[in-house]
Amino acid sequence: MIAIQELLIFNSVIFAIGIYGALTRRNTIGILMSIELIFNSACLNFIVFGKYLYPSLLSGDIFVLFIITVAAAEVAVALALLLCIYRNSKNIFIEKISLMRG
Amino acid sequence: MIDMYLLYFLMIFAAVSAVGVVTFRNIFHGAICLGAMLLGIAGIYLIMGAEFVFAVQVLVYVGGILTLILFAIMLTSKIADRSILQANEQKTVSFLISAITLFVLIYAIVKTPFTTVQGPFIVVDTARIGKSLFLNNILPFEVISILLLAALVGAIVLARKDIKK
Repeated sequence: MIAIQELLIFNSVIFAIGIYGALTRRNTIGILMSIELIFNSACLNFIVFGKYLYPSLLSGDIFVLFIITVAAAEVAVALALLLCIYRNSKNIFIEKISLMRG
Repeated sequence: MIDMYLLYFLMIFAAVSAVGVVTFRNIFHGAICLGAMLLGIAGIYLIMGAEFVFAVQVLVYVGGILTLILFAIMLTSKIADRSILQANEQKTVSFLISAITLFVLIYAIVKTPFTTVQGPFIVVDTARIGKSLFLNNILPFEVISILLLAALVGAIVLARKDIKK
């Protein structure tokens, strides 16, 4: 059984990579994918804390199931929005979508 | 012991794939890397004894979300061209921000004394998850089903073509 710190540091690395991707990607789908990275690191964090600190409880697993469900709903709506934007403006680069800028 | 090495291997595999997700010039290759990363995380779930979460991860993430993302990339195909720059000009600032975040997180993790339970991982069987989901967590379960229904209807309404015109 490896130490909890190693797994937590691994999760932090994935989280930081996700933040970097979300800030640098121009393509909106790339930003979505980076946000998926952040979701996954948070999910793994829940499992790690559940397994190492409270192994008899199920809260970690249940939380991860709910997070995955919400992520699925979020991706479905986001991609539908993207297709809508692409149909109207033929562009999904994030700096070109400035329709609602004042 | 072999579990430990497998865990290290999966962690390195997932981390390298994650770097691929954010750096690949071609967004399609990035999506394939995302699939590899999701499978790596799923393997970590399996080793840690969260079998049902492993199954859900493979089914929903790799089977559902990744397929949706690939669909969206192909439908907006001109955007995925190699010649188009995929990263914006804030690379240095973003790298600094994420490095600072990583540093703060690692500092907090190293400084915190965790009172962890020793011994091998306890395998959570699916029957216990089902009981917990339908007895203790029935209200969130129902709320999330309404959320899924709303997301389904919303996605269909947004993505369909305008019929009235």
